[in-house]
Amino acid sequence: MSTELIKVTINGKEFQVAKGARLIDVCREQGFNIPSFCYYADLALQASCRMCLVRIEKMPKLQTSCTITCTDGMVVTTESEEIEKAQRAMVEFLLANHPLDCPICDRGGECELQEMAFDWGNLEERFTERKNAQPEKYLSPIVANDPQRCILCKRCTRVCDEWMGEDAIEAGGRGANTVIGTFGGWLNCSECGNCIEVCPTGTLLDATYRHQARPWELQQTVTTCTYCSDGCQESVGSRAGEVMRVVARDRYVNGHNGEFLCIKGRFAHTFINDETRLRTPMIRYKKGGKLIPATWDEAVKFATRGLDKAAEAHGANSIAVVGSPRLTNESLYALKKFATELVGTENYTATDAFSLSPFFQNLGGQIATHRDIRHAKTIVLIGGEPEELQPFAGKQIRQAVRNGGAKLVIINSTPIRLKERATQFLHINPETEDAAVLAIFNQAHNELAARKMGVQETELIELRRTITNTEGDVVIMFGGEVSAEAQSLLAQMPYLFNKEGRRALLHPLPLYNNSVGATDMGLMYGKLGATEMLDAAGDSVHAMYVAGSFLPQHLTGREDSLGKLDFLVVQELFETETTRFADVVFPAASFAEADGTFTNSGGLVQRVRQTIPPVNQSKQDWVITAQLSKELGVDFGFQMSASAVFGEIAERIPAYAGLRYPLLKDETNPVQVKHATIEQRDLSQESEAIRARVEKMSDTATKINATPPVGHELFKIGTLTDKLPQMHLLASGNPKPPTLAVSPLYQITVDAGMKREAIGGD
Amino acid sequence: MSIIGDVIESTKAIIKGMGVTFSYIPKGKWTVEYPDEPVTVQPRYRGQHLLHVDEYGREKCVACFLCAAACPSECIYIIAKDDPRSPMERIGIEERYAEVYNIDYGRCIFCGYCVEACPKDAITHGYNFELSVYNRADLLKTKDDLLITKQVQSRNYRVASSEEDVDSEYKEV
Ligand code: SF4
Ligand code: SF4
Ligand code: SF4
Ligand code: FES
Repeated sequence: MSTELIKVTINGKEFQVAKGARLIDVCREQGFNIPSFCYYADLALQASCRMCLVRIEKMPKLQTSCTITCTDGMVVTTESEEIEKAQRAMVEFLLANHPLDCPICDRGGECELQEMAFDWGNLEERFTERKNAQPEKYLSPIVANDPQRCILCKRCTRVCDEWMGEDAIEAGGRGANTVIGTFGGWLNCSECGNCIEVCPTGTLLDATYRHQARPWELQQTVTTCTYCSDGCQESVGSRAGEVMRVVARDRYVNGHNGEFLCIKGRFAHTFINDETRLRTPMIRYKKGGKLIPATWDEAVKFATRGLDKAAEAHGANSIAVVGSPRLTNESLYALKKFATELVGTENYTATDAFSLSPFFQNLGGQIATHRDIRHAKTIVLIGGEPEELQPFAGKQIRQAVRNGGAKLVIINSTPIRLKERATQFLHINPETEDAAVLAIFNQAHNELAARKMGVQETELIELRRTITNTEGDVVIMFGGEVSAEAQSLLAQMPYLFNKEGRRALLHPLPLYNNSVGATDMGLMYGKLGATEMLDAAGDSVHAMYVAGSFLPQHLTGREDSLGKLDFLVVQELFETETTRFADVVFPAASFAEADGTFTNSGGLVQRVRQTIPPVNQSKQDWVITAQLSKELGVDFGFQMSASAVFGEIAERIPAYAGLRYPLLKDETNPVQVKHATIEQRDLSQESEAIRARVEKMSDTATKINATPPVGHELFKIGTLTDKLPQMHLLASGNPKPPTLAVSPLYQITVDAGMKREAIGGD
Repeated sequence: MSIIGDVIESTKAIIKGMGVTFSYIPKGKWTVEYPDEPVTVQPRYRGQHLLHVDEYGREKCVACFLCAAACPSECIYIIAKDDPRSPMERIGIEERYAEVYNIDYGRCIFCGYCVEACPKDAITHGYNFELSVYNRADLLKTKDDLLITKQVQSRNYRVASSEEDVDSEYKEV
């Protein structure tokens, strides 16, 4: 949109508007109410509902304002008898076949059609013909469908196509018989539920929340998703201390993700009120004995005594403090403070899948937010699989390509689905991502890298040309496949590619909601990593204080390491492999019961708000840490308020300087933390190390040729997603049930045999 | 003032009072002989609520929460549930029914808004009015107390026909 201004007259008043602005947006901004169904700012135009009619002078008929671009001197009328009559007629048509069953419709109370019928509907129905009744049905374990309520605005089909690239839901049939349907009658997509979210009627509904509550009964709290590093803003609806649903409807929340959420964020919240949540603190008085419920006082005393004893016997460094990248910044900060200031140990870490510390230590440019990705001109994706692991980043990439015309270069050893959108796909040999980084960093290594990666040298030249020909933003994204040294090279790439009119931005793809926060809080800069720490158990590490749990990939091959410890304190939501050896277990509060902040992969620090009081006897992680330290004789001075902890973070951690909760209040304008950038530095050591490693790679590796199925990561059963029964159906291949009239949950038994094996990184 | 004066004054007052009492004895009686005789209530009397069932015995309530939303004293508590069975096996008339439906008679003001709000004619005011209990917690009535198939109707009321002038019972004869 240009900055040139033109003159438009609306209802007799003159306005200066930007050239190329859409009429419906302009009218609404100026306060003229224009009803609409099919118009959705982030999607292609549809113009099927005919609600947005206006009269434009010199045009023969009423016009749909959602398709009109303002021109100079345009004279528009938005309110007149003629327009109102047309709009009322439209609502009457829309309701002609509608079942009018609001009392049992889950959308009732937040339905756009209902609201429209209040304002533009006629009191009486003139159609007396029989309605075209159709039974309600299920389209997948999580999408329920009542075809008769549909007004054919096609928001769902456009979202499915444009946002998700799935094209799983489409309109079929013609005229009055048009229905929204799926291929083969069953949805085999990534089950994001975005079609449910954007549907203005009760046609597509959340099957996990089916007939559970009504929207006005729910307390809606804006918070941040706890699953991946995208940090989507969502609104959690709770009732009487129970989380009922999660939505991103723009009437409740307006974060950087808009109305987008993925299956995990939207549906996998049942773990919060799950019956198997830990209820009380527990103590194992004898090694190998049973965990016995205890009071908080007893458990805290027992824990501190145990830690004290280990410190006395083996010194401070024998105590390890381990956080989890799922915790809030506040909790991670408290842990770090506990480790360094109270215990005085060098052994602390967070149980992340990989560490981003080399990246942040060498950062030479800006981190790309998700908005930057959406408007980038070139995106280079090295390793990773955002569609499965960071679904919102995946959506931004797809839209950047599809709606923004961006060039997408994918370097991956697996032909991931996203390659369908790529301008260039470098199908490399397994585990040769480092070679790609090396070649991008220094083209002198092109020949070597190409040989090891199993690609043509010309492909690397083309990749470089794509970057250097870009006007606008280049976003370089990378997954956990690249090594620590390669992370350093990537972090310095802005110095190579920044130029007048071009910015090189970086975007790491960590796996957890607060992986970046864990690095920022300093927890990732300890002496040992998670696996090394397990290896050192019983050797140099004798006691451990773990908030959260070790990931399965840490524990494989080290199943008994934790048993070698003298003393283990764990705070968790559920019993896990880590609590199996614990001497003391504290019940911790989940993200829905905690106040705090998460920092996402784009560096946005966003609020986590308490939606329900802590379940059972659980407490927030930082509260437990503060309680332990108080028992050990040091008062952290947090005064039982998360904002006091954040205040200290802002004081001590430069990237967060000056931040306070009030500044983070508005999720619409998220704040990016100011990660320190360092000067361009000599990376010959690192690149030499990579080169040596690349030299040793095989020349004749076999490529992976199969594109993994949708959901191979997304539907994986982890500790949290395990609590959503529908997830088990999806994980076992999403079988189509015998009848669609009833939820598949009632038809297909979810038993242990059906579960896909639980592997790390849910 | 002397004691004698006092005695005279109070005797006068008693005679005056008893005069009123005796003057009413020959007049008609207003007393309703409850509980020996049933009370006659207006057809639109608002007593304890009834939750209705249809001709097949299925609950009419679809747990839409509109009554709870309309209730000014917030005394209606509902938990909705999905019932995936076929129409004739269901508990209610629709796939959605109220698993829990509580009315707290410690708070209910018998305004009748819930009845007015109900789109399914599932809730009405019945005539039971003997709601006193020994324990405050017992004022909370559940579906077992409210369903028309379960609520025991008191014998102590009689519903007037709509033409009947109920108030005549309380008038002087
Ligand atoms: S299902 Fe909903 S979003 Fe899709 S066309 Fe129908 S009304 Fe629109
Ligand atoms: S994309 Fe990530 S942050 Fe967003 S809803 Fe899904 S898991 Fe949560
Ligand atoms: S308004 Fe009627 S149908 Fe709705 S919950 Fe109340 S009693 Fe049930
Ligand atoms: S909003 Fe313009 S036609 Fe639907």
